[in-house]
Amino acid sequence: MFPDKRRDILSPILGSVALFVLLVGGGLIYQTILGSGSAERLVTTMLIDAIIVIGIQVYIGNTGILSFGHIGFGAIAGYAFAVFAISPEEKVKRIPDAPFGLLDVQLPPVVAIFIAIVVALIAAVIIGIGLARSGAKSGAVAPTIITLALLFVTHEVTQNWSDLTGGNRGGLAFGIGDSLNSRWPILLALFATLLVARFFGQSRAGKLAVAAREDNLAARAMGVNPLVQQMSALLVSVAIVAVGSSLRVFEIGSILPDRFFFDYTILTVAMLIVGGRNSVTGAVLGVAVMTAALELARRLGQDGFEIFGIGLDDAPLDWVFRENLNTVVLGVSMVGFMIWRSKGLLEDWELDQWLFDKFRGEDDPEPDRLAELEDPGSFEFAASGIHVSFGGFKALSDAGITAKSGEIVGIIGPNGAGKTTFVNVITGMVEAQRGDFRIDGEDLFGKPSYALSRRGLVRTFQNLRLFNALTVRQNVEVSALVAAQHRDGRVHRDPDALVAEAGLWEHRNRRARELDYGNSRRLELARAAAMSPTFLLLDEPTSGMSDSESVAMIEQVRHMARTVGAGVIVIDHDLAFITGISDRIYMFDQGEVLAVGTPEEIQANPAVKAAYLGSSAVT
Amino acid sequence: MVELLQNIIDGLGRGGIYALLALGIAVVFGIMHLLNFAHGELITIPGYLTFWAFNNGFNWWTVVPLIIISAVITSLVIERIAFSRVRGATDFTLLLTSFGIHFIVSALFLVYVSASVQSIPRPSWFADTIAVGQLNLEVFDLLVIGVTIVVLAGTTWLLQRTMFGLALRAAADDFDTARLMGINSDSVIRGAFALSGFLAGVAGIFWLMRAGSVTPSAGLNPMISGVLAALIGGLGSLKGAVLGGLALGMAEVLIRSWLPGGISQLTDGFVFVLIALLFIFRPGGLLSVPSVERV
Repeated sequence: MFPDKRRDILSPILGSVALFVLLVGGGLIYQTILGSGSAERLVTTMLIDAIIVIGIQVYIGNTGILSFGHIGFGAIAGYAFAVFAISPEEKVKRIPDAPFGLLDVQLPPVVAIFIAIVVALIAAVIIGIGLARSGAKSGAVAPTIITLALLFVTHEVTQNWSDLTGGNRGGLAFGIGDSLNSRWPILLALFATLLVARFFGQSRAGKLAVAAREDNLAARAMGVNPLVQQMSALLVSVAIVAVGSSLRVFEIGSILPDRFFFDYTILTVAMLIVGGRNSVTGAVLGVAVMTAALELARRLGQDGFEIFGIGLDDAPLDWVFRENLNTVVLGVSMVGFMIWRSKGLLEDWELDQWLFDKFRGEDDPEPDRLAELEDPGSFEFAASGIHVSFGGFKALSDAGITAKSGEIVGIIGPNGAGKTTFVNVITGMVEAQRGDFRIDGEDLFGKPSYALSRRGLVRTFQNLRLFNALTVRQNVEVSALVAAQHRDGRVHRDPDALVAEAGLWEHRNRRARELDYGNSRRLELARAAAMSPTFLLLDEPTSGMSDSESVAMIEQVRHMARTVGAGVIVIDHDLAFITGISDRIYMFDQGEVLAVGTPEEIQANPAVKAAYLGSSAVT
Repeated sequence: MVELLQNIIDGLGRGGIYALLALGIAVVFGIMHLLNFAHGELITIPGYLTFWAFNNGFNWWTVVPLIIISAVITSLVIERIAFSRVRGATDFTLLLTSFGIHFIVSALFLVYVSASVQSIPRPSWFADTIAVGQLNLEVFDLLVIGVTIVVLAGTTWLLQRTMFGLALRAAADDFDTARLMGINSDSVIRGAFALSGFLAGVAGIFWLMRAGSVTPSAGLNPMISGVLAALIGGLGSLKGAVLGGLALGMAEVLIRSWLPGGISQLTDGFVFVLIALLFIFRPGGLLSVPSVERV
């Protein structure tokens, strides 16, 4: 679950304590200085908002999917809590016709909160399946609309199912003195929320979800099934929102449909994006900053407010500073941040990870070079009869290759020969109409790409697909995490050692998007190697490299493959590179295998010359 | 049978307005991949102008051009102030920017105009009906259907037969390539927003007539309907947007007439559930545009 105990358990605990102290301490100082009841209420509200916003962060931050529906889940939880926690005497006044015999039920608030969580989670599973079906991935539109639809449906239902909810006018209310009259439950829930959110972010599920957020396709190629990670993020997130929403109802003492609708959705989402949606620290900061800004705007808008003795009630100031000014500030800050700083104040800066890196320092020793495996085992890859056509165009007809572990097989051919399509088929990214491919006899045809890479067919990409916001180290760690779970019986190399092996040690803490072209290619190689593959599939690993870099790459590929015991299938149109690296070469042309042989045989083959250099070169 | 026919005409009347809204959303989506949650503001702002105009002696004949022109200007101004600054940003940023603008506009009217409902007089013929056989056809519905057909025909002509239409379709297909081919991206984008504003303006006339009032959050419902219609049809497809609008209008009317009296106020809820099911089984909408994942 947690790869590095100090980094992924101890540090988040300390970080949660720090964030808790900062937020609660700041609130207490404010309320002590002002010493008013309204200041105290403001702080209480802020703490509850923090729980809900952190809950939303777990989903939006880790998956990159914009959800407008979390307050809809909050409404479901809030009503479930209210219906179970409010005493029958109060319910008789508001919902005398409550269905399912709920009128006579009264449970202690703690139990009611658990029921609220369960009810919200059931809704989350249903919505989560819908999101998965809609092809949810970072930034996609369809999941955002589904969540928005959830918000509107819950609002419709809570407004109109008045037998259960009391509807728009009545609502549901606790009796006088029955509502929450201590701040301890909120503080406890806030601290637990911080811990859960930070643990999730550092957990395997969180890291894989973030990888899928950064590049869905590359994550699937590394054996991640993004839908599973998104679902787990959704469930954790909804559970937290359910707790926060129950406390919100408990603290206010009543619930109405409009309290969990559009305005609160905007407020919580704005808090999250202003602070920085990709970190828990950002969520906490966003809550604090927005609470302060909105409170200031509210007070400025009130009549009778003065700054340094200057009243704002005189024209034309009074015309600007009007009641509900805070709603304008809310909207403007949301759009302003999207335009000028779309990742929020902190982007993905996480307090505890920053401290961890600070204290560890930059001088951790470079791992020793890895020895090549003596016995990589023996595996056989065989693909045959693969047909792919796009519309009327036949990209592959009856193509196939074989490869053994320890061997480097090259595929060469002019542009449009079907090389990349072939790799796409055997990594599950393009669907073939017919064909067969197996590793050691196991039929893998038609499996999804994450399943294929878990079987050991791991690829790199022609046009570089790294997890850009993650560091070099984290990129490699993602596939190491998958390998640890799904590549039993293989030798797992330490991710740090693979980073060093790829010559990237000095860049280990830099983000992947900062790397130059050659280093990015080497990182892709290291990331694929960390999957402990049986076969490494390299799609034009030298494209964009200089000749000398290409030559160095030959050695690197060979060595990397041997350290993890993988066979290599490499595509390139650079004849010199392919003949330099391969033991055997397949020549593809127009979707068919034109020739097979050793590098020397291929170079001497007249058909190869004809396809490569044009038929006139042969005659 | 008569009832069904009646419902179909009602549905087309409703759906025509949605189709115009959805088409405007689809045009903008095609060109900058922006799902415009602020589209409803192209009705709110002209709506308040209409309210002002009626208080200053205007009538419907003079208000109609005012609504259309102000919708076009609003669309261009919003593009200039906000969307031009997030061109090429991630979808996440685009979604939230447009959503934020929707929120700002309603907040501005709430704070600086009034929270209360401002009424707009309906035209005198609004409730008139014409009897055709056993059918009672509302003049309003017939007008909507007629105008929608004319506007759609005009838009089709514009997109298919003019240089601007060609540039717009090229840019919608592949923005970067179109730019390299010498298409002026700024003017195409502005043209798309102007067209989107015009379509919203036409829809806005009918929306305001039917609503008979304007409020700070008046843009919410037309926005939701337009966005849903565009999604039902398949985002990025202009034909889909029109089809989606008609389908949404039809679904609303039919569901309302089939639901038993006690729960007919849940129509919108049922429509949402229906749409969610559509997404689950056909994520791309009715006329989905195949999106190729580039490896």
